[in-house]
Amino acid sequence: MSLTTYILMDFWRNLRNFANSFFIIVLPGVLFLIFGVSTDWNEFPLPTGHGNVSAYTLVGIAVYGAATATTSLAGAAAVELQQGWGRQLALTAMPHSVFIMAKSIIALAMAILPVVVINLVGLFTVTEMDTGRWFATATLTVVASLPFALYGLLAGLAFRSDAAVGAASGVLVILGFMGNNFFPLEGILLEIGRFTPMYGVTALARYPITEGDLLTTGEGTIGTDPLWMILLNILVWSAVFAAGCYLLRGRATARR
Amino acid sequence: MKTQRTDINTQREPDGVNAPAITVRDVVRSFPDGEGGRIRAVDGVSLSFDRGEVTAILGPNGAGKTTLIDMILGLNHPESGSIEVFGTTPKRAAQGGRVGALLQTGGLLPDLTVKETVQIIAALHKDHLPVAEVMETAGITGIASRTVGKCSGGQQQRLRFALAMLPKPEIIILDEPTAGMDVAARHEFWDRMAETAATGTTILFATHYLEEAEQFARRTVLMHSGSVIADGPTEQVRQQAGAAHVTVTWAACSAEINQLPHVIDHEVRGSTITFRTDDADALARHLLTQTEAHGITVRPASLEEAFMQLTSHAATADRGAATAETEGVTR
Repeated sequence: MSLTTYILMDFWRNLRNFANSFFIIVLPGVLFLIFGVSTDWNEFPLPTGHGNVSAYTLVGIAVYGAATATTSLAGAAAVELQQGWGRQLALTAMPHSVFIMAKSIIALAMAILPVVVINLVGLFTVTEMDTGRWFATATLTVVASLPFALYGLLAGLAFRSDAAVGAASGVLVILGFMGNNFFPLEGILLEIGRFTPMYGVTALARYPITEGDLLTTGEGTIGTDPLWMILLNILVWSAVFAAGCYLLRGRATARR
Repeated sequence: MKTQRTDINTQREPDGVNAPAITVRDVVRSFPDGEGGRIRAVDGVSLSFDRGEVTAILGPNGAGKTTLIDMILGLNHPESGSIEVFGTTPKRAAQGGRVGALLQTGGLLPDLTVKETVQIIAALHKDHLPVAEVMETAGITGIASRTVGKCSGGQQQRLRFALAMLPKPEIIILDEPTAGMDVAARHEFWDRMAETAATGTTILFATHYLEEAEQFARRTVLMHSGSVIADGPTEQVRQQAGAAHVTVTWAACSAEINQLPHVIDHEVRGSTITFRTDDADALARHLLTQTEAHGITVRPASLEEAFMQLTSHAATADRGAATAETEGVTR
């Protein structure tokens, strides 16, 4: 049995899927070039002094890319299992637990791709952070994508189709907008956005450079999110997604 | 191929040559029916399959064939009763590569190529035949670089056959293998299976197509509503259903015909009469000894007719049982 062969082949299958790689790598990359590199305010320093506005935008868009990767891969894995490929795999020597492990490795690798690409683009253009914060934000960005694996899994289990998983990934654009990922929210949108699933993980990934400060499109900050609030958002949404998956768990193995 | 198989068998036979390959004992499995109750998909089935046997499991949709096969493959578990495959659990036998299965439609990733599919599944078996060899046997070398999603139903089925053959299985289980194939593809498929059977592989297949059972299986198990209603040599199952046609030349009046024993129905065509009977011997004896009838021919009914007769019997018996149960409850 060669698990490495399986992981490499399945990773390559997902990477060459145009819809996958477009939404996971190309789109976030282009968004970062538009919002995080080409505009002039990106070179302004952050109020905390830990890097510039470009760094702030970089993290937000990288979180969106990584979350798209885990959502679509976890969702696709659930659909695969339910569409009969799981039955084919059940007749091999690979136990179910190893399948889950293999898929987690593949999803994580796919999530790391946009993070690496966008950070490299930032490194060679206008983004400024010190090395420690650079690594801290990049690591937290990958961590931020993990609750969205549960979200994708939930979509796959609930609707059992690739189209539904695609739609769930599409919804991430809205969640990213409400999560403060693309440009700074203010007023009522910010009040609502605080309670949406991508807000917490994005704020956490940015914490090393913002220390919770909220940026505006103008001068200065409009407040600070305490760390406990950020963590509570992550915890609650992870619990919601996990509970949903738990309720639908029987579906993965049941016959169509 | 043949010598190779012998090697495998001698290596893998700690559980005795005469032990059955598969033993199914009093297996019950039910599913929710969507209205709060449960439907027994498999209802007290006991069967045993010997090594090298080719068996057809025949039955209409919903007879419990796929549920039974899933349990033999370890994809599903009996609620009560037990299943042994080569003296171990179905799951272990399947994971050890001793059982190859050709599953019903689905079960393939559309965005892999044919060759990649064989490679990726081969990577997950402990021990497997070379990918190129299996692809050659299954006749898919020519379409190796085609994506699965672009393959025809017959080509996908050949790919599934390759996947089933990969672990050098001792049993091959096929769940409606020719569903969705045209006549030529079906013919080609069974030719390939006949070659496999000739190497001594145990074969178990579920089918709707009666002629497939008739042509290919020495043994037929008939299932209906989760139960086995007939089991034996295909020829015998056909006779057990009793259906045979007796044709004679005889100018008889309808009163004479009505007095004949074992007649289900009859058809008069000119001077010949064809009887459908549940006991051809008794009817023939009666016709030749007690009447003027002559020029007798006896033709066994097709499995299809046998099947119709057996399932209608089972349905009647079911209704009887159901009524009895309801009465039991009300009392």
